[in-house]
Amino acid sequence: MAQPVIEAKGLGVKFAMNRRRKRSIREMFIHGTKRDPNKAASDFWALRNVSFEVAKGDCVGIVGKNGTGKSTLLKMIAGVLLPDEGTVTVRGKVAPLLELRAGFNDQLTGRENVHLVGSLHGMTPKMLEDRFEEIVDFAEIKPGFIDTPVRHYSSGMKVRLGFALISQLEHPIMLVDEVLAVGDKSFREKCYKAIEKMLENERTMVLVSHNEGDLKRFCNRGLYVKQGDLVLDSDITEALNAYNVDTKAEIAARKKKDGGKAA
Amino acid sequence: MASRALAVWQNRKVVGLLVRRDLKVKYQQSILGYAWSLLEPLAMASIYFFVFGVLFVPGEGSARSAPGGPDAPGGYALFLLSGLLPWLWMSGALTDACKALITHAKLITTMKVPREIFPLAIVQTKFVEYLLTWPILLVFVFVLGGQTGWSLLWLPLAIVLQFAITLGFTLLLSCINVLMRDVERVIRILTRVLMYSSPILYPLSMVLNSGLPDWFKLVYELNPLVGIFQLHHAVWYPSEAPGTLSLCTTIGGAFLMLLIGYLTFRRLESAVLKEL
Repeated sequence: MAQPVIEAKGLGVKFAMNRRRKRSIREMFIHGTKRDPNKAASDFWALRNVSFEVAKGDCVGIVGKNGTGKSTLLKMIAGVLLPDEGTVTVRGKVAPLLELRAGFNDQLTGRENVHLVGSLHGMTPKMLEDRFEEIVDFAEIKPGFIDTPVRHYSSGMKVRLGFALISQLEHPIMLVDEVLAVGDKSFREKCYKAIEKMLENERTMVLVSHNEGDLKRFCNRGLYVKQGDLVLDSDITEALNAYNVDTKAEIAARKKKDGGKAA
Repeated sequence: MASRALAVWQNRKVVGLLVRRDLKVKYQQSILGYAWSLLEPLAMASIYFFVFGVLFVPGEGSARSAPGGPDAPGGYALFLLSGLLPWLWMSGALTDACKALITHAKLITTMKVPREIFPLAIVQTKFVEYLLTWPILLVFVFVLGGQTGWSLLWLPLAIVLQFAITLGFTLLLSCINVLMRDVERVIRILTRVLMYSSPILYPLSMVLNSGLPDWFKLVYELNPLVGIFQLHHAVWYPSEAPGTLSLCTTIGGAFLMLLIGYLTFRRLESAVLKEL
C-alpha cells in the first residue's frame, strides 16, 4: 500500500480574535492591565482536530459555509500557514492555484513575469522556453501585450496568464481555491479541460469550491467542514448532501425567524 | 536549524531570481538606470566631504582628519568613501528590511518557500549594489593615490562580518515590522544613530583621543559596527586595523546578531504568516 500523498493529523490553527489594536506604550506602562483594549480578546480556533488522508490520484473537494476554514485548510496543506496543533505531511511538490496573480510584479512585462514566477515554482528555463508559446496562447494574450508591463493588463488577463502558467506545472499535487470562478464562460471551459487533462495522469487534487457542478465533475471524495471541524469524510455526493441539508435547515430557520418578526 | 539552512541553500536560485528582479525593476524604471548606483553615493560623499572635509577643517594636528595626517595617500576623500560605500549597503538593507515580507505578502501566502529567503534577497540585492559602486572607489584610489597591500585581506573579512550582521538585522526587522509597524519609523532614526556612532565620517582616533570618559570609549568600541568599518578603512589605511579585542567583539557581535535575528524570525514565523 502506497503512502498517502497528503496526511493531516489533528490539525488545528487559531487566530486572535477581537484584537482591535495594539496597545500604546503609554497604556502599557501607566495603566497596567486596566485599560487593555484586548482584554476581550480570545483565541479563535479556525480549525481543530482535522485529520484525513489523501491517496495518490484522489480528487478531494472541500465543502462548507463561508468562513469555516476551508481556505485555511488549503493554505496549511500548501505550507504557507503553519498549524498551531498537529502536523500535515505532504509527499510531493505542490502546485498552488490559490491566488493566481501571485508573484506577478506590476513593473515587469508579461514575459518576464512568466519566467520569474515559473522559475519560482521550480520550472527550468528550458521548460519555460518550450512552453512559453503554449502559455501565452492559452491565456489568450494578444501578441503585442506580452511585452507590456503587467500593470497595464486587465484583471482578466492577469488571472488568465497566471492560470496558464500554473497549469503547466507538473507537480503531482494541485491545490485549487475557487479560482475556477474567474474569467468568462469560454475561458472557464478551457480551464476545466486543462484540469481534467491534468487529473488524467494520476495527479492528486484538492479543490475548494461552492459550485456543486465543479465539485461533482472532478471530485471522487468530499470533506465537509463545519465550523472548524471536519464532520464528514466520504464521497463527494454524500458530503454535498450533508452540506445541503444543513444549508436548508439554516434557511428554514432564518425564514422562521423573519416570519416571527413580521407577525 | 541545519535543515533550514539547507532548505535556504536549495532555494538559492530563487534568491538569485529575486535579486535580479529587484535590480531589474530598479534600473528599468529610471532613465539613468545603473548610473544612479554611482551617482547616489557620489552625491552623498560630496555633501559629507563639503561639510566635514572643507567647512569643519579642524586646526593643526588633526587636519582633514584622515589617519596619517593630511599628506597620507588618499586623504579624507578616500577615507570617507571607503566607509560610506559599505555603509550605504547596510543602511539600504535596513530600510528595505522592514518591507521585506510585506511587499511579498502575496508570494508568501501562496508559495511554499523558506520565508528566510526574502530578507536574504534584500541583503544580497544591496550587496550587489555595493559591488557596483566599487568603480567609484577605484577611480578615487587611482586619482588620489590610495595604497594597499596585504591589508587588502581585511576586505573579505569585513564583507563577511557585515553580511552576517546585516542579515541578522534584516531577519529581525522584517518579521517584527509585520506585527508592529512602528519599527519602520524607528529604523529611520536608528540608521542615523548607527551611522554617526560608527567611524564612517571620522576616524576612530578622534573618539579615542577625545576628552570623553573612558567607559564611554569602551562602550563605543564594543559596537560591532565600529570594528567592521575600521576593517573597511584598514584596507587603505593599515593603521586603522582593529586590535584583538575589537576584532573579537566585532566577530562575536556580528554572529550573535545573526543568531538573534534568525531565532526571532523562527519564533515569529507562524504569527507573521497569519498576519500577512
